Amino acid sequence: MLVSWELLKNFIDIEPIDLTPEELAERLTFSGSEVEGITYTAGKMRGIVAARIDALEQHPEERKYSIAHLNTGTGEHVCITSAHNMKAGDMVFYAGEGAVLPDGTEMGTRDFAGVKSYGMMLSAEELGLHDVDDPSGLLILPKDARPGDNAASLYHVGDVIFDVSITPNRGDLLSILGMAREIRGLYPKSMLKVPEWMRPLKQDKEWCENFGSISLPDKGCLCYRLGLATGAKMAQSPLTAKIDLAHLGMRPIVNAVDVTNYIMLMLGQPLHAFDLNTLPEREITVRAAHTGEHMMTLDGKDRALTERDMLITSGGEAIALAGVMGGEQTGINDDTSTIVIESACFSPVRVGHTSRRLGINSEAAFRFSRTVDPALSRTALMAATTLMRDWCGAVVDYKPLSAENETYTPKPVKLTRKKLSTYLSWDNMNEAAKILDGFGIVSVGENEFMPPTWRPDITIEEDLIEEIGRFRGYNDTPDKLPGEMPRRADIGSSMELASFIRKSLMARGYTEVVTYSFLPEDFPEKLRLSPDDIRAKTLTLANPISRDQMAMRTTLLPGLLMGLRTAIASGWREPVRIFEQGKIFLKDDEHEHIEPDHAAAILYNGSDTRSPSGNRTEDFYSVKADVEALITARGYEAVFVAGHEPFTHAGQTANVFVGGKNIGYVARLKPAIEQELDVSGVYVFELDVSGLEQAKKPEFTPASSFPASFRDISLLVSIDKSNDNVMKDIRECVSSDGEITLEGLRLFDVYVGKGIPEGFRSLAYSLSYRSHTRTLKDEEVEAIHNNVRESLKQKGYVIR
Amino acid sequence: MPEGLNINAVRASFFEALNSSKTLQELDDLRIKYTGKKGDLTLLLRSLGKLPKEERKDAGQELNALRDEIELQLEQTGKKIRDSENEQQEIHERIDVTLPERGRTCGAFHPVIQTMHEIANIMQGLGYSVATGPEKEEEFYNFECLNMPSWHPARDMQDTFYFPDGTLLRTHTSPVQIRAMLQYGAPLRIVCPGKVYRRDNDTTHSPMFNQMEGLLVDKDVPFSVMKGTLTEMLNAFFGRSLKSRFRASYFPFTETSMELDIECVECSGHDEHCRVCHGTGWLEVAGMGMVHPNVIRAGKIDPDEYNGFAFGIGLDRMAMLKYGIGDLRLLFDGNISYFMSGFGGAAKC
Repeated sequence: MLVSWELLKNFIDIEPIDLTPEELAERLTFSGSEVEGITYTAGKMRGIVAARIDALEQHPEERKYSIAHLNTGTGEHVCITSAHNMKAGDMVFYAGEGAVLPDGTEMGTRDFAGVKSYGMMLSAEELGLHDVDDPSGLLILPKDARPGDNAASLYHVGDVIFDVSITPNRGDLLSILGMAREIRGLYPKSMLKVPEWMRPLKQDKEWCENFGSISLPDKGCLCYRLGLATGAKMAQSPLTAKIDLAHLGMRPIVNAVDVTNYIMLMLGQPLHAFDLNTLPEREITVRAAHTGEHMMTLDGKDRALTERDMLITSGGEAIALAGVMGGEQTGINDDTSTIVIESACFSPVRVGHTSRRLGINSEAAFRFSRTVDPALSRTALMAATTLMRDWCGAVVDYKPLSAENETYTPKPVKLTRKKLSTYLSWDNMNEAAKILDGFGIVSVGENEFMPPTWRPDITIEEDLIEEIGRFRGYNDTPDKLPGEMPRRADIGSSMELASFIRKSLMARGYTEVVTYSFLPEDFPEKLRLSPDDIRAKTLTLANPISRDQMAMRTTLLPGLLMGLRTAIASGWREPVRIFEQGKIFLKDDEHEHIEPDHAAAILYNGSDTRSPSGNRTEDFYSVKADVEALITARGYEAVFVAGHEPFTHAGQTANVFVGGKNIGYVARLKPAIEQELDVSGVYVFELDVSGLEQAKKPEFTPASSFPASFRDISLLVSIDKSNDNVMKDIRECVSSDGEITLEGLRLFDVYVGKGIPEGFRSLAYSLSYRSHTRTLKDEEVEAIHNNVRESLKQKGYVIR
Repeated sequence: MPEGLNINAVRASFFEALNSSKTLQELDDLRIKYTGKKGDLTLLLRSLGKLPKEERKDAGQELNALRDEIELQLEQTGKKIRDSENEQQEIHERIDVTLPERGRTCGAFHPVIQTMHEIANIMQGLGYSVATGPEKEEEFYNFECLNMPSWHPARDMQDTFYFPDGTLLRTHTSPVQIRAMLQYGAPLRIVCPGKVYRRDNDTTHSPMFNQMEGLLVDKDVPFSVMKGTLTEMLNAFFGRSLKSRFRASYFPFTETSMELDIECVECSGHDEHCRVCHGTGWLEVAGMGMVHPNVIRAGKIDPDEYNGFAFGIGLDRMAMLKYGIGDLRLLFDGNISYFMSGFGGAAKC
């Protein structure tokens, strides 16, 4: 919110009197209202003064120019303008030779077709006052301006504007009055005061036009008041008011409307001005909308309503969405002379609901949803009618009409020394009471404090402590650490596992990435997932930012592929090894979903595989080694079984089993997908790692102190038979008579080619036999190994 | 002693031959020539028997001494030759150790995840356990339990992603506070790291980012402990003692509420054109406060008996500050070229 230093002075005499805007900003920031910027509206302005146009003549050559003879009190100046809205005797702002405009432009002399112009007369725009006046004409000053007066000190031209971020609990600060009260709390020696136009006004005349009733069947309207102004003349507002409005971010429109905006900015009470003659009937009812009811709001949009919305109606016709936005037809127009001013208070809950649901964040809705002081409506209405008199020349001594429902009344809040001392490590109750009093929270009994009507946010003891805390500041509190806990701190199994996996994969050459949890809607199709695949049944956002970030990921693969694509697009020709850990989102059925922790990686050799030690040749088996290492290091055995995934190479895919459970896959990417990415040879794995959280305790097997004996065996095997199956057969063939065991079995050669029949391959294994009790004799080993050979022959193997 | 087999002559000829031996092969030949089965020395020893008894003993001792000397000399010279040959071999096998390593180079960490683990470890040292919760969250835990009913204007501060069934992507890690209180009760000390989501996307906002929530619930918890905890955590994370300051603020789920600024980690307030703090000298790093009694109550803990504090820090921001990263959006595009050149990994691979 924008706050004006000049306008604050209407409401408060700040003590210390030499307080600078910067000091005030710092104090506000530390006490909870962050000042995000300070603007000196005069900017670099220098030497601009008020001047009277003594005489005006047409340029002898160029008819579009006028030559003005100006009086600045210190001499006469000649100045040329192309504007037409001035006449002799008018007061204007004049920037003479050497004067500087707010934007830093320095004035000089300029030749206009043979006539010299010394500086220029200014429009509002050139003074940095946007929207205040017609930008093509000169800004004509009120008659009371005196030649030679410095522009920066007139009509609030030179103001200081604070941009303050008001937290949602402090609706009371959304006005100059509210800020003045806050400043008074922060600088308790300051004195609040009441501006002229807020003084009580005698209003006892009956309305000259009959007005029926105001009825409030909806309790969400706490009170509703109408004031009357007759004989108003629609015109521009006083210059100072227009400049104030502009500085506070509102465009001056016409005096009657400006009055309502001005009062809202000054006091925080949203107001609405109707032309009495446009009201359908001279009656107002504030009621709940009916579900299905529609209304056209001021912004030309048709709004579908529910029974939580409130309508202001007249003669059964909706004229405003209460507290949120007016309707189309009742506004002020150029011919308006009889004005009805509405000053009401609405429930923050109801207005909050409506404005959030419809996405209307009007000034009124913003304030009502943050709570407007219910006691304010009467004062604000009176002030508004006073300004209607002053700015529009209206007659305003009519008795206001009112209707009220039950409204919010503050309740006393207790403050205990114990809690104060616990929270703030400070417990001076007398000081505390003084601090609270500064904020208008008065002592009403033994440690009991009554918040003012504008502070409905104060309801519990902690709220009082916060007022004291933010007044005192928190920086002097000592630093302490908590005492002991009855249990140790646990990093948690999922965090521990994540830490293990990232360190392991990093050491194995992978780089950690984080990609978005939401993916393009069509990612399941891109991955060739069939509609009944659980990964194709995505959770989809109802309000995504874009279609590219819409479906919650059911696999980490698309994010990694995106990373690969980005790397390649950025000119990366080296290998890409990236991994990610994170949650995926699987939908079980309509209302259930689970978020398992996954780890996934991709490996790509890069487009330039040359190296002095031969071309890089990482493949399926490289990634398999990485996966096996991860699982083995957690104490589990990984079993790889030829498998299938819709997005992987049909001949190079293994499912990974741990403890009999399929936890993921290792594979080469489907060549068709590789082609889409314009790469070849992308290897991937993705695991559901939740089963690895509890590291399995390794079993201890003492090493034998007796040497092992090694024998090789070479088998001719059908290519359809997997290595795992052959190894299983070999193990089965070793007679388990206890003492001598087959300790190791290792494949060391795979051969296909000359001498091997079509459809077969030769697999060569090294077997190691060992006893834990003695050194084996050669003959014993030979005997056992021969048995193995014989048994394998019986199983149908051909031994080479 | 027989004529012609003079011991001194044998010794002299051996040393002459030894001195001219340059290879292990020559040395071996020498060994055979003198101490082999038909070697000169062996023959001399054999001929001892022919000597008269009184000469035999002395000659025997002399010959044995010569044999020991020859064997020692052969061994020593052999060792010298082997050493020299190995030395030559090593010189011959010299490689350029600055050629690139074979196989994979080390990977690199992601700065935000690294930050997450670092801070969780620091907090574990202060007695905080890690608690987790779902990212797809219910309105109840994400907002209502945290004192933010649907009409509440504070909801404007957190633009939310919804699912069609009314559930949402959590907008902060604070709902884990509630879940943890319900699960573990009091006293409680937890941190909850994780992804959070807001419907916001520009140069300084990402629709997905990372937070860490901290919560302590106990009896008579003073603000000073929260202050001490955060100071300790930040100093440990940045590795030095940083100036800090607390500003009053507002969060619906804490009362009293404040924000924490630390001195600019880039310029410590000495550079008015600092790209990190924009010349203010301060960086906003955390929001916090004493937990609102309504929130304690929502966690089924009695606020008359227990109180506590909670804080939330932006992990992405912490990582960006610590590692000097300028653009938030670079963190989530998975581009290895960025990370490898920027974080620990070498640009070569």
